[in-house]
Amino acid sequence: MIKAVMVMNTQGKTRLAKFYEYLPVEKQQELIRGVFAVLCSRAENVSNFIDAESIFGLDSRLVYKHFATLYFVFVFDSSENELAVLDLIQVFVETLDRCFKNVCELDVVFNYSKVHTILDVMIFGGQVVETSSSEIMKAVEEISKLEAASNSIALIPKSASGWRSR
Amino acid sequence: MHGMRGLSVFISDIRNCQNKEQERLRIDKELGNVRNRFKNEKGLTPYEKKKYVWKMLYIFMLGYDVDFGHMEAVSLISAPKYPEKQVGYIVTSCLLNENHDFLRLAINTVRNDIIGRNETFQCLALTMVGNIGGREFAESLAPDVQKLLLSSSCRPLVRKKAALCLLRLYRKNPDVVNVDGWADRMAQLLDERDLGVLTSSMSLLVALVSNNHEAYWSCLPKCVKILDRLARNQDVPQEYTYYGIPSPWLQVKTMRALQYFPTIEDPYTRRTLFEVLQRILMGTDVVKNVNKNNASHAVLFEALALVMHLDAEKEMMSQCVALLGKFIAVREPNIRYLGLENMTRMLMVTDVQDIIKRHQAQIITSLKDPDVSIRRRALDLLYGMCDVTNAKDIVEELLQYLSSADFTMREELSLKAAILAEKFAPDLSWYVDVILQLIDKAGDFISDDIWFRVVQFVTNNDDLQPYAAAKVKEYIDKPAVHETMVKVSAYILGEYSHLLARRPGCSPKEIFSILHEKLPTVSTTTIPILLSAYAKILMHTQPPDQELQSQIWAIFNKYESCIDAEIQQRAVEYLALCQKGAALTDILAEMPKFPERKSSLIKRAEYSEADTAEQSAIKLRAQQQTSNALVVTDQIPANGATSPVSVGQLSLVKVPSLVTTENDTSTDRALSQQNGASSKVDPQPPSADLLSDILGPLAIEGPPGATVQSEHNAVSGLEGDSDAVDGSAIVVVEEQTNTVQPIGNIDERFRALCLKDSGVLYEDPYIQIGIKAEWRGHHGRLVLFLGNKNTAPLISVQAIILPPAQLKVELSLVPDTIPPRAQVQCPLEVVNLRPSRDVAVLDFSYKFGTNMVNVKLRLPAVLNKFLQPIQVSAEEFFPQWRSLSGPPLKLQEVVRGVRPMPLPEMANLLSSFHIMICPGLDPNPNNLVASTTFYSESTRAMLCLVRIETDPADRTQLRMTLSSGDPTLTFELKEFIKEQLISIPTAPRSPAPSAAPPTAQPSPQIPPNDPAAILAGLLS
Repeated sequence: MIKAVMVMNTQGKTRLAKFYEYLPVEKQQELIRGVFAVLCSRAENVSNFIDAESIFGLDSRLVYKHFATLYFVFVFDSSENELAVLDLIQVFVETLDRCFKNVCELDVVFNYSKVHTILDVMIFGGQVVETSSSEIMKAVEEISKLEAASNSIALIPKSASGWRSR
Repeated sequence: MHGMRGLSVFISDIRNCQNKEQERLRIDKELGNVRNRFKNEKGLTPYEKKKYVWKMLYIFMLGYDVDFGHMEAVSLISAPKYPEKQVGYIVTSCLLNENHDFLRLAINTVRNDIIGRNETFQCLALTMVGNIGGREFAESLAPDVQKLLLSSSCRPLVRKKAALCLLRLYRKNPDVVNVDGWADRMAQLLDERDLGVLTSSMSLLVALVSNNHEAYWSCLPKCVKILDRLARNQDVPQEYTYYGIPSPWLQVKTMRALQYFPTIEDPYTRRTLFEVLQRILMGTDVVKNVNKNNASHAVLFEALALVMHLDAEKEMMSQCVALLGKFIAVREPNIRYLGLENMTRMLMVTDVQDIIKRHQAQIITSLKDPDVSIRRRALDLLYGMCDVTNAKDIVEELLQYLSSADFTMREELSLKAAILAEKFAPDLSWYVDVILQLIDKAGDFISDDIWFRVVQFVTNNDDLQPYAAAKVKEYIDKPAVHETMVKVSAYILGEYSHLLARRPGCSPKEIFSILHEKLPTVSTTTIPILLSAYAKILMHTQPPDQELQSQIWAIFNKYESCIDAEIQQRAVEYLALCQKGAALTDILAEMPKFPERKSSLIKRAEYSEADTAEQSAIKLRAQQQTSNALVVTDQIPANGATSPVSVGQLSLVKVPSLVTTENDTSTDRALSQQNGASSKVDPQPPSADLLSDILGPLAIEGPPGATVQSEHNAVSGLEGDSDAVDGSAIVVVEEQTNTVQPIGNIDERFRALCLKDSGVLYEDPYIQIGIKAEWRGHHGRLVLFLGNKNTAPLISVQAIILPPAQLKVELSLVPDTIPPRAQVQCPLEVVNLRPSRDVAVLDFSYKFGTNMVNVKLRLPAVLNKFLQPIQVSAEEFFPQWRSLSGPPLKLQEVVRGVRPMPLPEMANLLSSFHIMICPGLDPNPNNLVASTTFYSESTRAMLCLVRIETDPADRTQLRMTLSSGDPTLTFELKEFIKEQLISIPTAPRSPAPSAAPPTAQPSPQIPPNDPAAILAGLLS
């Protein structure tokens, strides 16, 4: 089971945090800090694994991927395959990229509600539910159509109109 | 989500904050604003609510507690329009935990969304339940979710979510979600063509088979078929092909599911599977594209795990090792990492260790990898693959690496090096070299156990003593030495420096001055050891040296008034002893041999291995490749003359491994006691605090033969409060009964299990008995999990249930032997015939080596397990209450001596026993009214009503009224509740009642078939 998904920037600022087992906010922050402390000292061109048991306790593993200014971190237990979770990070990022056209940190910051939506289409209660980037996009577009259709206040930002034309 | 300009502005504001303080101010302002807006909710449009709730979620993500607005988030769930509903669901999943009260309010809405026609609403509702659905959700929604999953009219989008939603509900509440008869449905789901639904169904299958593979045999061939289809890339839609690999996730999950079946019997299925695996193993290459590599190797590593699990032929295994050997040398760091990790797992497969050893050089190179994650895996692997043949090479590599290793790894590294050196030393002088080097290079990380152990070896091996003394002198000659080195050196030089006396620079005087130089640099825990060394040096100086004597006496004199009691006592005693003249030689004679015993280091290592062992089938089956035997001890010559305990006896004596902090003090005390033991003229049994790990009690008096038995008694008696005692290894006189002590308090464990349905019932150093129970009406199904914690089998295992008259209990067959590190499950069926508070007892025994262990454990099949809470309304309660007018159906009692507790606490206590408080029925706030349903064969489901009237002025008394349709039930339930409310005076530290203490328990006198008598014994 996937225990947590975190996105943080290279300064240690959280951009997304989703825990699939309930934790109080202070504990969440403590874990995020713990992860960042290890990540920021890692060189480039090393493996995508770090020892998670010292931070998250027994039976926890961690894989991360570093893209530009962001770290994408997934924490999970031994019932998941490490490389498969790494693939999942890649799918997540590729989907964000398709969604925002060359995704950058600011997209994640200002559209974090959308990022949540994408994540929920991919991961369900800590289990992988959809792995096909195009299927995820389809579902997300469906959701945005619904939102736009029922949104009585017509304030549609460029990003939203952008999806519909695609 | 769209058009929330306010939200974007807020995020920008936060981004523009220069520092944390500004951020906090901005957030406080926003929270205040939101709180105000929520206060007069009337003016809020759903759109505004949505906006605020997203702001809250953003604030929460930044690490600020958001303690209001939960109600608003939940209420958005019932909004009619999609965007608001969506926000309600998402935010609720993020902010609330599964026990939050507000969630209960949403159950109906959620259920309506799930059974409704709107697919998007279904998805939202399923997602939330899948993230935070608790017990009540499971109770009211599981059947609906099951229906959705199987419905052919539902879109895959909904069904895949339904599968995982069900998985969550089942994982969290296996007792509520009924999966009986799911095997056929599961098999049917595996025929699904849509890969999204199939992936989710496979996850569900993994959860189901991990719990009970027997029921799902029919799914096995289907899994193999799916794997075959994917691996051949047949009929896999483009969108599920990831970098050219047909859904790696589904492949991996399918192979995971297969690992939960112990074996594959059908030859056709087995052959097909091996063909697929062979293709995966051979057909995967490292390519340029990183993502493709990751995906193909995800599949490959899972295939390796499956091959290991299936115990393939040796040829295939060597193929696997060859592959792994290739991986640990590739450029791709992830593959190097996993290659090392999987090689470590591979060690547990028999017969491949030798093939793995061929890669030793490469593994040692990995110890210098730039990536610390990889270095750690390499260390684990080297540790695992070490044996007598390669110990020298590996340990020397570790020592070399120690100087350059990361600070964070040094402790683990030195501990591992010490353990390996001890386990596999080809000769003892090498062992001494290694430990001294360790202390020299990483003294801060050397725990006391390590240096105690080296002292013990040196003491027990005469031929080692001059060597060790010369070696420590070399180290202590250096200008700056670690304090631990001072301790070892002082001890060894004190005992054995006289053996070096003829060598240059080793006269007593010189030795003394080298040691004494260090005194100003050490802490108070080391000074006593130095003082003992001085006394011994002085004693060994023949002919006596007046100058040395006056120097040392002066030191003793100085410390006679030391503020540290330990130092002071030694100084005083040694000074007095020195004046005794010739008697001194007898008293300060060389330390006798230590009884041979298992190293606490090795025990520690085994303990942590057992602790972290994954529950995977592989690890459970595989036995650690090493036995407990200390290889080095084979070389110790027996020297029985000076020792009451025959050293030649190579069997191991288990001693309690003390917590390190305890070790510090107790060993020093032990050292002082022993070196100063001379001051005691008459033999006294050593006191319990002497029992540190290596400097254990030595019965100095008495001829060897006679002391053996008493030694044993002393050991087991003294170590009564420690956690692991196995004294019988000293001599096998007869089968010893109950020399083991339970871990944890049995009574507390029982009481905890009365309130919950799974947990540990009993644990000792050899076995752990877990229990998991499901209760339905008057039926109960318990499973006993008997886990062998050791590397040797437990034999003569016996479990007998002694049920009280009201319970019918059937225990399935308990195997006679529990294999090493294995867990067996024994189901137990319970039927409740009629109300009673009597408790069933499990009479459990097993043998470990020659140790017979017998315990009597109360089973948590207690009255409250047959209660089910029920909420009763005023309209139902009062007619019922009035109709049962008096004894014996309605009983009233004034209870005194009640444990004082506030009313809410009492309400909680009752609900923990499944007696549900019905608020509002009694107008008096000091009273509680509660109701529950009791299930038994004779009473069927029977409503029970409870009223408790408390006196706010005197919390120690109350009046309780109970009513039900059955006189016995009324009485028993009344007594039961009374027992829970009254503070029964129990001696808090008394030995656990059912633990059967070593000798005191007269268990044979109890007629074995009379549970009441046994209970009386248990509770006395």
